[in-house]
Amino acid sequence: MSEHDRTQLGAYALGALEPGEAEAVDEHLATCEECRAELAELNEMKDFLGEVPPEAFLEGPPEGGDLLLQRTLREVRELEAEPPVPVAAKRRSRSRWLLVAAALVVVAGALGGGIAIGRSTAPEASNAPTAGSKQVTTTDTASGATMATTVEPRTGWSWVQVHVSGLKAGDQCVLLVTDKTGKSWTAGSWVVSEKAAKNGSTFAGGVLIPLDQVGTVEIRTVQGQQVVKTAI
Amino acid sequence: MAVTESTSAALVWAPADPGIVRSVGDTPAPHDAETLIRTLYAEHGRSLLAYATRLTGDRAAAEDVVQETLVRAWKHAADLTTGKGSVRGWLLTVARNIVTDRARARAVRPAEVADVLDKPPVSVDHSESVVNTMVVMDALDKVSPEHREVLVQLYYRGRSVAEAAKELGVPPGTVKSRSYYALRALRAVLAGQEAEVSR
Repeated sequence: MSEHDRTQLGAYALGALEPGEAEAVDEHLATCEECRAELAELNEMKDFLGEVPPEAFLEGPPEGGDLLLQRTLREVRELEAEPPVPVAAKRRSRSRWLLVAAALVVVAGALGGGIAIGRSTAPEASNAPTAGSKQVTTTDTASGATMATTVEPRTGWSWVQVHVSGLKAGDQCVLLVTDKTGKSWTAGSWVVSEKAAKNGSTFAGGVLIPLDQVGTVEIRTVQGQQVVKTAI
Repeated sequence: MAVTESTSAALVWAPADPGIVRSVGDTPAPHDAETLIRTLYAEHGRSLLAYATRLTGDRAAAEDVVQETLVRAWKHAADLTTGKGSVRGWLLTVARNIVTDRARARAVRPAEVADVLDKPPVSVDHSESVVNTMVVMDALDKVSPEHREVLVQLYYRGRSVAEAAKELGVPPGTVKSRSYYALRALRAVLAGQEAEVSR
């Protein structure tokens, strides 16, 4: 390709030329600034194409029957039967969306962060704790374990998350949450891996205690030894 | 423990960008939920399921993702009437977000807890590509069918010029020139959209 043949450049950019043809284009590009500029533009389009997955060009219903369709229809019928029905009245569904949007704005405000409502159709879940959460960090002098505890309020119950370091690999642990009447709930149990022992790890679970009734959060071994405990 | 699903459910209700999704020519009235779901399933089901299966690596999980995607589409039906981006692009984007959200939810589940620190969520922030997927799909909708076809063959299916020529029943030289003009046309469409936005 000693002279301009731009029509080769599209297939070249898309990597569809035969090796010999591509070499010829390479040789020409080495000497032709104009074609290099053109190729840069075509490459940019190739990058754009990468934003769309190849599956986007499959047509029709899935193969293998319509069980999935039936399940989806059933879910929609059930949702439709529940008031308020989101699509029964456009106005009503809109106002509901606006309420939720308003709620999200309030939460975003409370966290001091910004959630770009409307930028994405399915907003990202925030990693920051819910407003009203309680956070405590404790180190147990005997075991040497440090536990950063976050208790998030839920309706009638709580979500307890702990980040723990200083645990021993192989320890079988239980996360216990005790309410103010002294009743204990297990929020889960696990075994400490080598990595978790070295780098610390995060563990979480739900307990049926309203946030204001949570008394203490503690990690015990299955053998009953207390590892670290904190009052909330 | 599988709590994150229900707590994040509120997010499902966040308003869609008004006008992000263009109406399909024969989209039924939004209140006809069953017809809407059936239509979306018949037109986009295969594409969605294949995409979700690749992302999750699991057919059963993928089916759940498709189901949730269709339910969301129905919930947003009232708002999905005008605007930019194809319905297909919207559905694929929502499916991807669901997969991402679920991967995050799994990351706080106890059984996998020891590995949490080693496995950051699969993706950090899709909001940029959320826009781009739909913009590019929309642009591909606007170029001619011949141009779209040759890009699908060469780029998305990874065919060589010779293979695409055979597939499309045209000479290799035509595949080459067509792919060049297809990329130019795509650029023109995208440039036109930018001009529209910046006005």
